[in-house]
This record gives sequence, structure tokens and C-alpha cells, in this order.
Amino acid sequence: MKRILIVDDAATVRLFNRQILEKAGYEVDEAINGIEALERSLLTTYDLYLVDVNMPLQDGFSFLSNLRAQAITQAPAVIISTEAGEQDRLQAWEAGANFYLIKPVKPDVLLQLVDMLTGEDDQ
Amino acid sequence: MALLRNTSTDIRQEIPAEDAASLLAKLWDESATTRRLVARDLARFPEASHRLAERLEEESDSSVREAIITSLAALADITAVTALIDCLHSEDAALRNDAIEGLKTAGGLYPSLIQEALQDGDPDVRILAIGVLESLRHPDVEQWLIDLLDHDAHLNVCACAVDLLCEIGSGRAIPALERCSERFPNEEYLHFAVGLAIQRLQGEGTL
Repeated sequence: MKRILIVDDAATVRLFNRQILEKAGYEVDEAINGIEALERSLLTTYDLYLVDVNMPLQDGFSFLSNLRAQAITQAPAVIISTEAGEQDRLQAWEAGANFYLIKPVKPDVLLQLVDMLTGEDDQ
Repeated sequence: MALLRNTSTDIRQEIPAEDAASLLAKLWDESATTRRLVARDLARFPEASHRLAERLEEESDSSVREAIITSLAALADITAVTALIDCLHSEDAALRNDAIEGLKTAGGLYPSLIQEALQDGDPDVRILAIGVLESLRHPDVEQWLIDLLDHDAHLNVCACAVDLLCEIGSGRAIPALERCSERFPNEEYLHFAVGLAIQRLQGEGTL
């Protein structure tokens, strides 16, 4: 079973995405900021990251940069943000994100992308 | 052997304290370490907030920016809080987040400035301003959120207001939550968040 880490400071967002993903058969963990996400990543191997940008203590871009710089994992990462600006997209790419989605994400769009990035669409 | 008390009780007394003018001059020093230490020391001088705000606009080193924001949050005068709110317009995510943390400390002294940020023309700024409200401890916060639910045209602003009402709201917000859900009939996340908030405000559930 593929394992996904949702990194978002909004409890409602985490719950919404968790329900969608668990219903589709994924295992889901949660982190409320970049620091907690990095700690979880050192303990658990994830197949995919869904990462918010604006979070207290450590934002999503800094988390991804740290994750890639420390070579903890090369698992794909999707930034999910309310910020639609070009600069944010560029920062996401530079930090090591593979995709950039604007909130709110439709459940079918999220699942389609998650299936593709985890290879579940091949099975 | 008896324990000897250290007689040099405060090492700081041996170092002559610099005045604000000499510290401010170093705020444009070539060394980021110097700028960072100076920015930190300037938190003691109320007259420094204007120059700290100026420096923040052009500072590129993240550790110096963090020190400036911490000092601005400590100074917490109208210049400092305005400078922190200006950072919400930044395209730099780390700077935005540092500013939010600063505003959580200092914003409560100038609630009208935070309320203005909730009316900003940029929806991203309004969303970030909502992130400050929980720490504001202002009696009108719930009403400000209700106003956003009723009038803000941007879905994500409303979604953030719903998320916060779910945590700090009261039953008074329920009609506005229902109206907001009707304003965005095809948005699954918003309907989910509204449902959860209403359940929570009716005392039927927790996150």
C-alpha cells in the first residue's frame, strides 16, 4: 500500500484530503508544518508528499528544500497552495516540487494526480 | 571542596552598550552576521523601527530578515506593525510566514491595521491576515470572519475564514456559514469545511 504525507497547518484540509486518499486505498500520515514533516520523513518512507506553502515554523518550500538537500527522499511532491503567483511556482520548482496545484483541489483531480505520481494508475 | 559563587555575575556589564545611532549605522554592514546581531540589539530602541523597516525591504539574507522581524515584533509600534503587514505582499514564502509570526505577537496592539489587511485587494494577503486573527484575541474577530463569509468574493478567503471559525467561532456564525456554502454551490471542499464547522459549533464533533 502506498503511503502519503499530507503537510498542512489547516486541520480541515488535512482531514478532507485524508478521507479522499484513504477511500482510494492509500495510507496517510499528517504533519502540521515543515519541521514535523521532516521529522516524519526521517522515520518513515513516503511515496508522495502533498505540501501546503504557508505554514508556521517552516513553510512548504523550505521543507522541500531541506528534504531534497539532505537527500532524505526523491519521492514526488505536490505543492498545494492558495498562492497562484508565478514566483511561488518558481520557488516550488526550485525547492524540488514536481507539481503545483491551487486550492481548493477537486477530489477527482487530486486522486488522478496522486495515482499517476505513485504509479497506481498502472495497476 | 566548597562551591564558589561566580563573582562576575553579569558578563554584559563589562561590554559597553552601543547606542542606537551606532547600531543603526551597522544595519547596512557588509557582513550578514553583523547585520543580524545589530538587528537583534535594536529591539531595545523604539526609535529604530523606521530604519529596521527600511532595511527589511532590501535585506536578502533570511537570517537577518528573521532577526529584523523579531525586533519589529518586539518594538510593536505602528511603524513596525505596518512593516510586518507590508511583508504579507511579498512573493517570498519564508518572509510572509515570518511576518505572520511577528504579527501574531505585535498585531494585537493595532487591530484596525489587521482589519484593513482583511480588506486588501489581494486575496492572498487577506488569507494571510486570517492566519493572524487567532492570536489577536480581539472581541470582533468572529464578526470579521462572518463579514468575510458574507461578502468576500474569493473562495479561498472564505475557506480560510471557515477553517478558523471552526476553531474559534460560536453558534452565532452558523447562519453565515450556511449562507457562504450557498454562495459557492459547486465547491466540495468548502461544503465539507462548512459541514465540519457547523457540527463543531453545535458541539457535536471535534477535529
